[in-house]
Amino acid sequence: MAGSMSGSNYEEKFEFPLWKLIKQRAEEKDISYVAASEEVVPEYVKTIRYRDTEFEDAVIQKRAREMAELVEREQTGKKS
Amino acid sequence: MALEQIADRVVETDVLVMGGGIAGCPAAAKAAEHGLHVTLVEKAKTDRSGSAGQGIDHYGIFPREGLTPLELVRHWEHAQNFTNGGGQWGNPNLMYRYYDNGFWTLEELEKLSIPMRWDDGEYYWMPHRGPGMDPTVSYKLGLRVHWQNVKPLLAKAVRKKGVNILERTMVVDLLTNNGRVVGATAVNTRTGEFIVIKAKAVVLATGLFARCYDPETPLFWKYKFRYHWCPATISGDGWAVAYRAGAELANLDITGWGFRIRDDLNISFGNFPINDGVPSKPFDWRGEEVAYPTWQSASGYAGLEQKGQTPIYQSLEHLTDDWHKRIEVAFVDERLVSFKVAEDRGFNPRTHQYELMPNKPHNFVTVAGIATDDNFKASLKGLYAIGDCVAGFHSCGEAAFSGFLVGDSLHNLVSEAGEPVVDEAQVESQKKAALVPLAVKDGTEPMELECAIRYACERYVSQFKSEGKLHEGLRRLGSLRRVFLPRLMAKNPHYLMRALEVRNILDLAELHINACLERRETRGNHIRLDYPEIDPARDSMLAYQRLEGGKPVLEIRKAPELKPEYAKEGE
Repeated sequence: MAGSMSGSNYEEKFEFPLWKLIKQRAEEKDISYVAASEEVVPEYVKTIRYRDTEFEDAVIQKRAREMAELVEREQTGKKS
Repeated sequence: MALEQIADRVVETDVLVMGGGIAGCPAAAKAAEHGLHVTLVEKAKTDRSGSAGQGIDHYGIFPREGLTPLELVRHWEHAQNFTNGGGQWGNPNLMYRYYDNGFWTLEELEKLSIPMRWDDGEYYWMPHRGPGMDPTVSYKLGLRVHWQNVKPLLAKAVRKKGVNILERTMVVDLLTNNGRVVGATAVNTRTGEFIVIKAKAVVLATGLFARCYDPETPLFWKYKFRYHWCPATISGDGWAVAYRAGAELANLDITGWGFRIRDDLNISFGNFPINDGVPSKPFDWRGEEVAYPTWQSASGYAGLEQKGQTPIYQSLEHLTDDWHKRIEVAFVDERLVSFKVAEDRGFNPRTHQYELMPNKPHNFVTVAGIATDDNFKASLKGLYAIGDCVAGFHSCGEAAFSGFLVGDSLHNLVSEAGEPVVDEAQVESQKKAALVPLAVKDGTEPMELECAIRYACERYVSQFKSEGKLHEGLRRLGSLRRVFLPRLMAKNPHYLMRALEVRNILDLAELHINACLERRETRGNHIRLDYPEIDPARDSMLAYQRLEGGKPVLEIRKAPELKPEYAKEGE
């Protein structure tokens, strides 16, 4: 389970990979974050499996099964 | 006294569009295409104003994957019932027309150079959602879009069409003559200039209303959100001026119910993966997973609260790396500031949870607004409402459609309408009322009064309603109106805008409570502790409110039914 929002690790520094790229590009070219994101995002998008419907469906169905199992567990009173 | 002596400026136009958002800009552009003189009034700056100011990450519902507009209407009715209980809380004819014109609207947006395609040049239909989800989004019916710059692009398109844009201009009230809307008065929020706008048609496109409740997120306002439920925008200006002019509002008893983020450490991470098909995992505070959608309904959340299971947290740890990247791209498309919020707070969606909002009203997003017919005509001649201003209509797809449709049809009305005749006495009265706060010293700040209104609604209306509480809420609002409204002060024209907003908020808050008082039943998320059962007499009935001869009128009337020509689709 993920750590609680009030956990001590909450204040640890975390940098989103895409945000890091945007900030770097903005600094390099002395442009706004919005302008930098327009340059960076089209490249970043290529690393994401947006058109892989088989992969998408598998991920979604897996979660749907988990949710259905949870409902069944609640109805039968079983603990996970 | 002549109009020119009362006003600092008089603008004459065919069409006045109030609000430069996803509905107002298409309406203005389309009307201008027909050769009409169009004036668009925007209280902020059109390039980044309003709900879509920071962008939008997904758009519309289309009749595809074998689904017809009629089937989509049926899904919409199902979703309405899920939120509000059994009943008909909108106008199915509007929804039918929206679905039926989905691809026309898409083409019109592309003509305005709004990007609708993904990076590879093709449309990217959002993934299927798993079984058991809201059926209107269980199919590939909506588009993921890169709309970070939708507002500057729309503003550019509108300027290119020759629309006269009055920015930093707040509408005070509509001008009427013999039951017809003939324009509006307005103030420039930088110079204080008082403006009269004479128009043959007025289109209200100022979005929804929310500011009688605490906002969706308690995040610090330093982040300057321009977001759907951003407290900086949604003061219901269009609804309020329509009501004061005599137009009908509907469904003010029905608020949107948040199961959103109630967390000052981050913002809506959860919505984005839902849009890409994979729901988050909700846990109670002890770490036990909570079944979807138990926590989504008012009664479901209340049950968890009574069992001591709240707060409820959401987790995204189960998402694949690919999905976390999708969230990042969605941030860019809808709210780039999300990165900064998360970075400032040290929030890592791969490892941290966030708290869900306790289920309470936080806006009127679902069905309330200005009552219109199938062509978005309000109940006053010459007056239209589009986008989130319309009762039973909501979202950016519906906003764009209604804007294009009304913009496309106004030339007929304008050609038939005579020259607008403005009543100078009405202008004088509106000017006097509007500018009073500039002369008040040591009075009440607009935000002080707004917070007092919010307190009254949070305390006396909110989730669990009863006659006594609602009456007390009304009494409190009446006291605020009597004692503090006249003492509102504005140290400059910007604060004058805030003062005008608060007047609108107060008017609408009172309408809200009156509508809740009249609805003596419990249904869906409308919980009346003193009337715990459904009242069958309220099936498919809506509360309509208007001013008549200066007096408020509340009528319960039957909701519009789907017209036979739409219902017979496919026969």
